Amino acid sequence: MATLHLLSHSPFSDSRFASCLRLLGPQDGLLLSGDAVYALQPGTAQLQALQLMPDSIAVYALDEDLQARHLPVPERALAVDYPAFVELCATYAKVNSWL
Amino acid sequence: MSKSLLIISRQAPWAGPSAREALDIALAGGAFDLPLGLLFLDDGVFQLLPEQQPSALQQKDLTANLQALPMFGVEALYVASRSLSERGLSEQPLALPVEQLDDSALSLLVDRYDQVITI
Repeated sequence: MATLHLLSHSPFSDSRFASCLRLLGPQDGLLLSGDAVYALQPGTAQLQALQLMPDSIAVYALDEDLQARHLPVPERALAVDYPAFVELCATYAKVNSWL
Repeated sequence: MSKSLLIISRQAPWAGPSAREALDIALAGGAFDLPLGLLFLDDGVFQLLPEQQPSALQQKDLTANLQALPMFGVEALYVASRSLSERGLSEQPLALPVEQLDDSALSLLVDRYDQVITI
């Protein structure tokens, strides 16, 4: 039963991101929105942690949040729009929002 | 003689109103010639990145407000060098001329002001 984890808080200002990475399953997915997309900032330990995860874990990031923050999309992640976001939520068996 | 105020802005720009509010305090204080300093700390350093496009989120750009600071007499602008390096931004050109301070310089900075507010 794969879970899509939704993160929207900055990985630099609290522990949601780190905790989420610790409990990800091998088939789970990670969707970054809002300030959570700062995890894709080049040259950070956060991006490195994402790159070290097994390829079986998909990483998505909301395109408009990347654009607003002028962040590049690294190879490890896939930029998605809101319709794709909704589709992903329906694809995974469960959705876990890290509110 | 009016008391000096240090504003510490430590929130990223687009997820809430905090960054804009800290900037508004600085601009309002500057308009009244208060002796002000503005320190960008923690996620607040993301406010200083050039080429952001908040229109993608139907938000107004903060860059114009940031660049108005020197015109309003707010020229004491600082950024924590540790916050920049933790976020991979040490080599990144910033939208404003700000002085980089290390941890020990930060405590001296806070010491220099009569009043401090952190947002």
